[in-house]
Amino acid sequence: MNEVLFETKGVGKTYGSNTVLHDIDMQIHSGEVIGLIGENGAGKSTLMKMISGVDTPSMGEMFYMGKPYVATSIINANHQGIGMVFQEQSLVANLTISQNIYLGREKKYSKAGLVNWAKMNKDAKKALERVDLSVDPGKKVRDIDMATREMVEIAKVLDVVTEVADGHAIILLDEPTTVLSDDEIQQMYVQIQKMKEAGNGIVFISHHLDEILAITDTIYVFKDGEETAVFPTAEANLDVLYEKMVGRSTTGEFYVENKQTVHSDKIALEVEDLSLFGTFNHVSFKLHEGEVLGLAGLDGSGTEEVCACLVGQAAPTAGKIFVDGQEMKFTNSYQARRNGILSVPKDRRDEGMIGILSIEDNITISSWEHLKSNGLLSGKKIRSTAEKWIKEAAIKCTGPKARIAQLSGGNAQKVIFARALESNCKVLILNHPTRGVDVGAKQEIYRLVREMTEAGHAIIVIGDTLDECLGLASNVIIFRDGLISGSFDCPVSGKPSQQEVVHFMM
Amino acid sequence: MNNKRRGLLETLTVGQQFVARAEDNARMDKIRRYAPLILLVIMTAIGGISQKNFFSWANIVNIMFQMSIPLVISVGLSYVLLLGSIDLSIEGNMGFAGSLVAFLVINNSNSNNFGIFGIIVVILIGVAVGALVGFLHTKAKIASFIVTYAMGCIMTGAAILIYRGTPIQVKDPMFVTISQGRLFGIPYITLISFAVFIIGAIIMNYTAFGRAVFAIGDNEAAAASTGINITRTKIKVFALCGCTAAIAGVLQCMRLKLGQSDLGLNQMFPVVTAIVLGGGSVSGGKGGALQSFVGVLIYTELANWLTLMGVDTNVKKVIQGIIIIIAVTLTVEHNRKTVVK
Repeated sequence: MNEVLFETKGVGKTYGSNTVLHDIDMQIHSGEVIGLIGENGAGKSTLMKMISGVDTPSMGEMFYMGKPYVATSIINANHQGIGMVFQEQSLVANLTISQNIYLGREKKYSKAGLVNWAKMNKDAKKALERVDLSVDPGKKVRDIDMATREMVEIAKVLDVVTEVADGHAIILLDEPTTVLSDDEIQQMYVQIQKMKEAGNGIVFISHHLDEILAITDTIYVFKDGEETAVFPTAEANLDVLYEKMVGRSTTGEFYVENKQTVHSDKIALEVEDLSLFGTFNHVSFKLHEGEVLGLAGLDGSGTEEVCACLVGQAAPTAGKIFVDGQEMKFTNSYQARRNGILSVPKDRRDEGMIGILSIEDNITISSWEHLKSNGLLSGKKIRSTAEKWIKEAAIKCTGPKARIAQLSGGNAQKVIFARALESNCKVLILNHPTRGVDVGAKQEIYRLVREMTEAGHAIIVIGDTLDECLGLASNVIIFRDGLISGSFDCPVSGKPSQQEVVHFMM
Repeated sequence: MNNKRRGLLETLTVGQQFVARAEDNARMDKIRRYAPLILLVIMTAIGGISQKNFFSWANIVNIMFQMSIPLVISVGLSYVLLLGSIDLSIEGNMGFAGSLVAFLVINNSNSNNFGIFGIIVVILIGVAVGALVGFLHTKAKIASFIVTYAMGCIMTGAAILIYRGTPIQVKDPMFVTISQGRLFGIPYITLISFAVFIIGAIIMNYTAFGRAVFAIGDNEAAAASTGINITRTKIKVFALCGCTAAIAGVLQCMRLKLGQSDLGLNQMFPVVTAIVLGGGSVSGGKGGALQSFVGVLIYTELANWLTLMGVDTNVKKVIQGIIIIIAVTLTVEHNRKTVVK
């Protein structure tokens, strides 16, 4: 093997008491393409952020070209020879291609504060030619298609890093193929091959294992922030990768499975051939009272958008939604709630909590219609409702009048669960119900979920992990690239293994 | 503060630091909440010490009278600012309401005599115009400052069309009674404005609608996810603001006994300023009825004090501008919003 360009030794990252990445050893050799795989939240992006200068490690060391490596920002990393092509495209749409490529580096082209655009365009043309792109660099980014943008982004990063480190640069590609067609993916492979032959080191993240097997030399598998396996691509196959990605399953006790109910035959919600153009197609399922339906799928597979359609936050292009047998069309979450569907959003801080309001207001906001006397809100009813839930859900707080912003993640989430339960909505959508919540609060939340189904609620869960999704669900349907790719019954006695399910996800 | 924090970096765990930071924030929050009240006390003290007339009953009544119309405007505008929106149609609405009410009651240009019904019709039109603005804002998704500015233009033009160039003089005895009458020495107009304020405050603090306005202004995405009706709430807010603007226009017409389009001229921005002085925020989610009251009072006291001091009008403007910048700098939550537009 060639010389080692970049190395991490025992690198980890903690946020508060939460460890998201632990003890990562990775070596990137000259002319090597590394494939990095793992479920959502496995820590791939966290590691990339630390190498690319977005974030700094909490522990461990990194070395580049044999010297200790510290990057304080993306630009700083670029100047050292390390660049990343981000998952979300980072081009500025209302600037031209060449302006984007030289964004922050205009000095080279400016005299007395005025930029020589012609000269910049000429250089940009060369940078684009390196990735076999013949587009006019004077075009605005908003006027070019997604695939071209992706290549421009690669051209930009390549130009920046090879300026200082040609032949030993590190290029990080975070899911570069998501927006590309098959032909374009082949072109991407050609470019990766070229970068590799020039002696650079490349890290390639993708959820498509066939791509990983096709283009990489070495595969690193991450699971829950840990490196579970490293092997040469030549020795890998799909089954091995699946097995290494999912790891151990938690015991049924953790998910309070003894309280899992057998659902009734009464259909609470039926979705028929639902499609949202460009996002998901032909989704059909039935949700019964007392059922927990798990939606499993990687980020971008369509699970979250299906739920957005169910609560009126997105308008489906085709298909029908039936609530209690009646066809419904929702244009906002208010209509959805009035017809019995409410969602517990994924991003608690930005979409769930209303920081300015008290805990009692946050608990009762979805049921204020029922808490009035003489047309005015009844402080007494609000108070007693809140107190009931604070006790029921064991919310640790100084009192119902305290602001929700002061609560810890787990307790704030319980407030939002209390809100959902108090709303009298039959169908509840739990989107990552335990994201950023400690183990104790997780158990409380699982217990609440079981109580919900016992009370006849019908629940849709998008699990924070696959393990959680399978643990909670009585049925699970699996999404891949916007289509339902499989489904499993999950009775207490015979839950499918994660390997079986992951197979349908990738 | 920073040096103290740096010392604590070594001795406290990250968790303890988090708690300490949360406590710091809570403390600052409290200071910020009471800052307008402190400002009011200081303003009052300065006024009282430098001008012995300041606390005379005549001057107190004068201040109450001066704050009447701004207070009425502030009632509706507080809701709009709580949403993080703005209503630039207030001045046009006031001009239109004043002109139309002059046209409908006993006046020098026609034989109309609709009396109290005229007033009610004018206020209802204000509500309808506000609701229309809210509808356009939420359904056609036009930014509030554009749609309200446009509506303000329409209303100003419509006002002039009512009286065709020559402002109408009001001759209705009811108007004379209200504008000159007093109860326990307090002008009726002031009493009316206080009544409007109290109703506005009750709606804001004791109805689901009022709470929903806070929720939407603080975090619209979260408010939407709770399934409260965002569209309807916003339309109601603009309708309410149209209502109070119309009432302010009618009161202004009563004071001047004249119906013309510029009754509302330069009435809105001082009120926005007053609300911000009281602890409201133009980006939404902060403030409330009481805060607005305090803000209007501070602003009026300041103007009154500068007049008593015999300060030149132009110098007065400069001083007001400086005081506003200082007050807002002190009260704004610097660490919350990273992007200021």
